[in-house]
Amino acid sequence: MAGAYDFVPAIAALPFVAFLVSLFFGRYMPKRGAEAGIIATAGSLLLSIWTALTVAGFTGPATSYNENLYTWVAGVDEGALSLHLGVFVDPLTALMLLIVSLISFLVHVFSLGYMNDEGETGLPRYYAGLGLFTASMLGFVFSNNLLMAFMFFELVGLCSYLLIGFWFRDEGPPSAAKKAFLVTRFGDYFFLIGVVGIFVTFGTGLFAPITEGGTVVAESFPGVADAALNGEASVDTFGFGTQTWVTILGLLVLGGVLGKSAQFPLHTWLPDAMEGPTPVSALIHAATMVAAGVYLVARMYGFYLLSPTALAIIALVGGFTALFAASMGVVKQELKQVLAYSTISQYGYMMLALGTGGYVAAVFHLTTHAVFKALLFLGAGSVIIAMHHNENMWDMGGLKDKMPVTYWTFLAGSLALAGIVPFAGFWSKDEVLYEALIHGFGTLGTGEVGMLGGLYLLAYAMGLLAVFFTGFYTFRMVYLTFHGDARTETAEDPEPVRWNVKGPLAVLGIGAATVGLINMKPVAELTGAHIDFLHKWLMGPEEGGWPAVTSTGLHHYEELLHDAAHVTAGYPLGETPTLLVSALVSLSLAVGGVLVARSLYGGPDPVEHTDRLGGVKTVLMHNYYQDEYQVWLAQGVTVPLARAADKFDQGVVDGVVNGISSVSLFTGSRFRRIQSGLVTNYAALMTLSLVLLLVVFVVFGGVVN
Amino acid sequence: MAIVTEYYLLLSAAVFCIGLYGILTRESALMFLMSVELMLNAANINFVAFAFYWGNLTGQVFSLFTMALAAAEVAVGIGIILVLYRNFDGIDVTEAATMRW
Repeated sequence: MAGAYDFVPAIAALPFVAFLVSLFFGRYMPKRGAEAGIIATAGSLLLSIWTALTVAGFTGPATSYNENLYTWVAGVDEGALSLHLGVFVDPLTALMLLIVSLISFLVHVFSLGYMNDEGETGLPRYYAGLGLFTASMLGFVFSNNLLMAFMFFELVGLCSYLLIGFWFRDEGPPSAAKKAFLVTRFGDYFFLIGVVGIFVTFGTGLFAPITEGGTVVAESFPGVADAALNGEASVDTFGFGTQTWVTILGLLVLGGVLGKSAQFPLHTWLPDAMEGPTPVSALIHAATMVAAGVYLVARMYGFYLLSPTALAIIALVGGFTALFAASMGVVKQELKQVLAYSTISQYGYMMLALGTGGYVAAVFHLTTHAVFKALLFLGAGSVIIAMHHNENMWDMGGLKDKMPVTYWTFLAGSLALAGIVPFAGFWSKDEVLYEALIHGFGTLGTGEVGMLGGLYLLAYAMGLLAVFFTGFYTFRMVYLTFHGDARTETAEDPEPVRWNVKGPLAVLGIGAATVGLINMKPVAELTGAHIDFLHKWLMGPEEGGWPAVTSTGLHHYEELLHDAAHVTAGYPLGETPTLLVSALVSLSLAVGGVLVARSLYGGPDPVEHTDRLGGVKTVLMHNYYQDEYQVWLAQGVTVPLARAADKFDQGVVDGVVNGISSVSLFTGSRFRRIQSGLVTNYAALMTLSLVLLLVVFVVFGGVVN
Repeated sequence: MAIVTEYYLLLSAAVFCIGLYGILTRESALMFLMSVELMLNAANINFVAFAFYWGNLTGQVFSLFTMALAAAEVAVGIGIILVLYRNFDGIDVTEAATMRW
């Protein structure tokens, strides 16, 4: 009987077909290709739900699936490397498939309002891009090995380039698209080296072992790495210690993650990517491109857990990015810019969670963030339609009463983003910070890497501070956009939006309010009720079942966290009080941020307060001069280096070649004079040579050595 | 009383040198052809002389081959000379130097 798993490849194949249909037949369709995308993503969503139900065990025992479906490079020798395309489905995959297909379905519907109703041209190209984007992200999600993941990772990058640069006739979008492509490509360069390194070292790129009837037929690379660290397997580590080499490989792959997930210092592409159409921004930020990086770390988490150093770096980068991006979001004037920096900041939280061993927290935040960030972007899109594509918040104001559906859903998303109880973001962000806190305390002064606990606490402190900023900039945005009096004529009389905008907003608005309920850890802890569903979902059954087969279960990760990374949980105030105090602190900081925003911008006629920041404002407006220094790196360092290399190439390498050729040219031009064309001369030459030869024979006695 | 082989070789060398001298000094293609014939026949003399000296027939058979070859060579040579005459209005080999560098 064909089960759900046989249809998993179709989840990605359907949007791919939509891509082809939109591309070639989109112009003959009444909605210019949107129909194909909507039907395909709806199909993907249904298949994803079916897959998730199968994984959950609604249709039988809870299972997982890991198969190589197609071998495109087959090693001939014994033990030679083979490259496969395959499908791996475990609860994490199923959850992510669900998120991606849901968000992209809603984005397709929303695009009807944002693109079709606004009379945009080039729509078949747009819907083809969306289809391919969705397809490549879904393919990335169910990849069962690192190389396949890398290929889809690159496809995602390509699609983001195509979609960010959709309005290619304007000046900004093509340049933003190029920037996004180049910056992420810089990270992917390290990722590619990491992929090659992992294949060479461990001989496989599988995320999880493939089993047949209970026996492992193909080992996974985190498994081999674990065995190598315990001395049970030997791998070629190129002269490094095994631990060091695992760290190096992990950090190389992390390069790709930093690029795609817009983490410091490769975050600069993301704010510029706002040049693309708003639904595309929603898709990039909530479900596809940016999520891909964090998802990759979660996917190969068993590998990262083997290296405490890599974990510490992930945690630090995450915590720092969360604070860094949040501080820039405070001064931005454009709606989408604020959201862009909030995205960077929120992905920083996910990295913080992953780095500190909060696997569930990271996946939880990924889930809730996907919902509320898609909501915020679509809400922003709705506002932008109403404002005739003016994105400056200072030109808005008072939109609350004129577009109530957008206002209330946007408010739900903002409360979730700011982390106000009981909206989604509170539960997940609180868990992220809680995990960082307890693992920081538990590892302080112990563990193999002495600094680890201190670094965790530092990252925690940065994350905690970012909560305040998040609350502030989120509600600054809300107050400026929706409250007060209308500041321009457009805001007085905004253009109404239709069902295709309000529908997705309503779905996501309900989601933003409720999706946090899947893992209410504080409540579960207080009442003793087992309502931490996501935790159970990733934990799997206690005995046997999929975690024993795939070794991607939470049990395994917790063991690794304790045994390999030597990270333990510590409770400075006891278990339940620590949890509550942590939640209270982050909540009060968030509320504090909201209240400050209210007092500064809540009035009927708010004025700018950013001048009070003095010199800091300039720094923040210029994004800490990150762009400037990257341009300087490119122009001041790379260009002269390239020039020098060019000189060397032209002068030395080409010089040798040209020198040899001119020497032979010169001698040739002299020697050809003997070709006089006179038969007599040739005959004379032949005779003389013969005589010479004979003389030589005579002198050397006929034996020439 | 047989003639000593050395005399044959001297004769052969003399004929060869005459042919060589002709090739090195003459300008007429016909004279060239004749000089080449002389050199070929010098070789023939050698063949026959050595065949006589060793008392086997290999050299004589070879000289027959050489004669056939010489005939063919003359046929080709005369053809070339005809073309030479047509293209350069003469059979002076120093004229035909247009295919050089």
